[in-house]
Amino acid sequence: MTSPTAVRLAGFTVVALALWFLPTLQGPLDFPIFYLLFGYTLLFWFAQASSWNMFTGYSGYFSFGQGAFFGVGVYTTGVLAAKRGWPLIAAIPVAGILAAVLGLSLGFVVFRLRRLQGEIFALVTLAVAFVVAAIARVSSTIDGGSGIALNDVRLPDFLGTFPSMMFRLGLIIAVLTVFAAATIQRSRLGWGLFSINDDEAVAESLGVPTFRHKMMAFGMSAFFAGLSGAVHAIQISYITIEDVFSIRIPLFVIVMSVLGGMRHWMGPIVGATIIHTLTDRLNRAGDLDLFGGSLTVSLDHLNDIIIGLLLIVMVLAVKDGLWPRLVKRKWAAAGAFLFGLLVARIWAPEMSPIGQFVAGELGAVVVLLPPVAVIDRWRNRRESSKTPDEPTGRPTVGATP
Amino acid sequence: MSLLQFDGIHKRFGGVAALGGVSGTLAEGEILGLVGPNGSGKSTLINILSGFAEPNEGRISFAGVDVTDTEAHHRFEAGIARTYQIPRPFSSMTARNNVAVPLIFGKTKLHPTAATDRAIHWLDFTGLASYADQSVSELNLHQLKYLELARALASEPRVLFLDEVLAGLNPTEIEESILMIRRIHDLGISLVIVEHVLRVVNALSTRIMALNQGLVIAEGAPADVMKDPEVVKAYLGSRWKHA
Amino acid sequence: MTLYGQAIISGVLVGGLYAMMSLGVSLSWGVLKIINLAYFSFILLAGYGSYELAANHGWDPFLTVLAVVPVVVIVGALLQLFFEKVKIGEFESLLVTFGLLIMLESVARSIWTADFRRIPSTANPYASSSLRIGAFAFPTPQLSAFLTAIVIGLLMKYLLDRTYFGKAVRALAQDRDMARAFGVDHRRVAVLLSGLAAATAAIAGVFIAMSQALFPGLAVEWFGIVFPVVILGGLGSTLGALGAGVVIGVVAAIASVTWGPSYAPLATFVILIATLLFRPEGLFTRKASV
Repeated sequence: MTSPTAVRLAGFTVVALALWFLPTLQGPLDFPIFYLLFGYTLLFWFAQASSWNMFTGYSGYFSFGQGAFFGVGVYTTGVLAAKRGWPLIAAIPVAGILAAVLGLSLGFVVFRLRRLQGEIFALVTLAVAFVVAAIARVSSTIDGGSGIALNDVRLPDFLGTFPSMMFRLGLIIAVLTVFAAATIQRSRLGWGLFSINDDEAVAESLGVPTFRHKMMAFGMSAFFAGLSGAVHAIQISYITIEDVFSIRIPLFVIVMSVLGGMRHWMGPIVGATIIHTLTDRLNRAGDLDLFGGSLTVSLDHLNDIIIGLLLIVMVLAVKDGLWPRLVKRKWAAAGAFLFGLLVARIWAPEMSPIGQFVAGELGAVVVLLPPVAVIDRWRNRRESSKTPDEPTGRPTVGATP
Repeated sequence: MSLLQFDGIHKRFGGVAALGGVSGTLAEGEILGLVGPNGSGKSTLINILSGFAEPNEGRISFAGVDVTDTEAHHRFEAGIARTYQIPRPFSSMTARNNVAVPLIFGKTKLHPTAATDRAIHWLDFTGLASYADQSVSELNLHQLKYLELARALASEPRVLFLDEVLAGLNPTEIEESILMIRRIHDLGISLVIVEHVLRVVNALSTRIMALNQGLVIAEGAPADVMKDPEVVKAYLGSRWKHA
Repeated sequence: MTLYGQAIISGVLVGGLYAMMSLGVSLSWGVLKIINLAYFSFILLAGYGSYELAANHGWDPFLTVLAVVPVVVIVGALLQLFFEKVKIGEFESLLVTFGLLIMLESVARSIWTADFRRIPSTANPYASSSLRIGAFAFPTPQLSAFLTAIVIGLLMKYLLDRTYFGKAVRALAQDRDMARAFGVDHRRVAVLLSGLAAATAAIAGVFIAMSQALFPGLAVEWFGIVFPVVILGGLGSTLGALGAGVVIGVVAAIASVTWGPSYAPLATFVILIATLLFRPEGLFTRKASV
């Protein structure tokens, strides 16, 4: 009998193997090397968003601390691999463990406090992220304010050329992270987290070991964030406190997960795909002249405006994210995607494949966001103001036990 | 044989003593009625006995084992369950999955797939089987209270605390609920019932404990306790203004 | 010793500014149950507005208040109206205003770029002027900010204690539904309150533009000041914000002087974490109101 876990394991292994050989196909298929690096960054976001979501999305405890775990990962590589000459391969697991230790220590203090409400947890994690950054800045063993250059790190040469190596490292970590997220979702731990999300006190009184579950999930979330950060340090190549601990990583993982849907492991994948492809195109599109040239918006900034706007719209109008809707309207979405793709091909044939993909995405998203999202909310609110006790049926008493 | 025993339970919130030293027992097979006016400490006592809150002083023992410092989820595994005055279902889940949670984490420790199957048994017991795969947001108050019962029963508890199960129900629903409570008792579960509807407590309980302002003022057979002058004064006390 | 003495004085003075920066978030969170990160952008944009008027149009930096405050007040009130309309939840408000903060920071970056923007000393004589008493200097912008904060604090105290509006605010802070049941018009109180809060944020922005250089990333840097002040002072408490502002100001100054400027945010964030864990209701409130 094939258990769901076995099926999942097989599925992920197949996908992982297939993608593993993508870099070797670059020569024969002759696609630009750019796509390997683009692929790496996409995999990076899969790992970051999934690691964040496996705790916050499932448990409902909003963590603003992703930056801390990512930063620990990056600087572990920086200190061990760049400053102390460790090979990258050795630094990566250490980074994960250190990040996990940070997460577990924080969790140990914070989860013990019963009266800790959601917003306070969010603030504590935000504060911890700033403290970690500050400590890294003042400590000269870590950064000391001058940053670290990672040009001389010993990279694993058995993984191929630089782009192939990055792609494959990113692949392993992304696969591990997403697999973990998917497995947790279906496991006892996942059941526990979701019930904590709905009502923690009740969950506890129904046997859920809430403290243990939160610790496990938070620790794993931190671990994978750290692993991913350790590899990403190489991509950044000159790491500075401002860059590594900026609000960007926490912001993006939040928006990606909110956009895609936080209760399912596919949510961060969908969200990361949409946002990464979109921002990639916007970054390359140059500047936008408004008001006859007196205001130039570099589309880089438009990036942030769109991300902010997306967050607002999603939180207010599409609370569950796109994934549940994608599941319900898969054919409509697929159709819209192809439509968008075709329109782009015909209208702007010089557009790159990624650009066309984005056009397809936009088509699908339009179909997935109900066209009158705000009006739907109004309608729902007016209906729910009716008396809640409208009987929908009686329980049949006297049924034999 | 006393299944549950609590001695000298004190609970203070800030400067207010919600419970000023409450002791009692629950024998196996009993239905203990807990009565008292609003603010007498009934809910606080239930919270403490079920592990929701910690007493400032006092000990609790269950089946001979001291559980005062045991966390709520361990108590549930051991066989102490409770329902809530205002139902608190897991709002994002179906009725079935709501019942599956205690099956996974309680005494039975079932695997999630087995748990979702077994959940039907308890939904059936409480007459909710046809709502198994609906979201709980579609259930009315009476059904939600029954869902609470199904969840509490899923872990096959030995003691069940029913916190104002009848609050908010109409007369027909109350009659049905009384029958349900008897059926639960017939399963061999000892009950502690907190209730305002005195005639129901009278009819159901084998013994009654009356609280007022955090202290036990009477205890014994229902008929005796209900006629106790202290109990009458506690309920109607506001009519008699002291100088 | 004078070094520490001066640090303490500077810390106390800047504490007034910190209080004004934090009042918006504190009142909004404590009374209206909305965590409004947009206040950070209000401060920033007010500062940039003041900079524009002073640097490029010759306004006296103090007088820019007259132009900047009304604009920010209107924006703040409109935002609050929007929140009332969509009946935003406490947690939703955190995410939504986070999005707003990102958007507005981006707008600021588009208009004024990431470069440091400082009102030139020709247009801003106050930046380098100060009141001298003995060995100690009381810089004009910080001193004025401190005095303004005191005035605002007294005004708020008067409003809260002596007016109907104040009673309504206190009622809402304690028990929203009860207050409504007794006829408190939530919408009107909320809009007025957020207007007041936006005004203090704008005033803070003007003083900041007067005393330092601006850049878009400041908004997020201010997290390390505002959140400690808000939590330490107690949600919704004006005098608490004042007290906490001074505490945080002094702590930051002493940390800066003892170990270096990078240690200031470290110190304030550690205080925030400690407060959140062990006394989330703040230093100056009696009951647990969080």
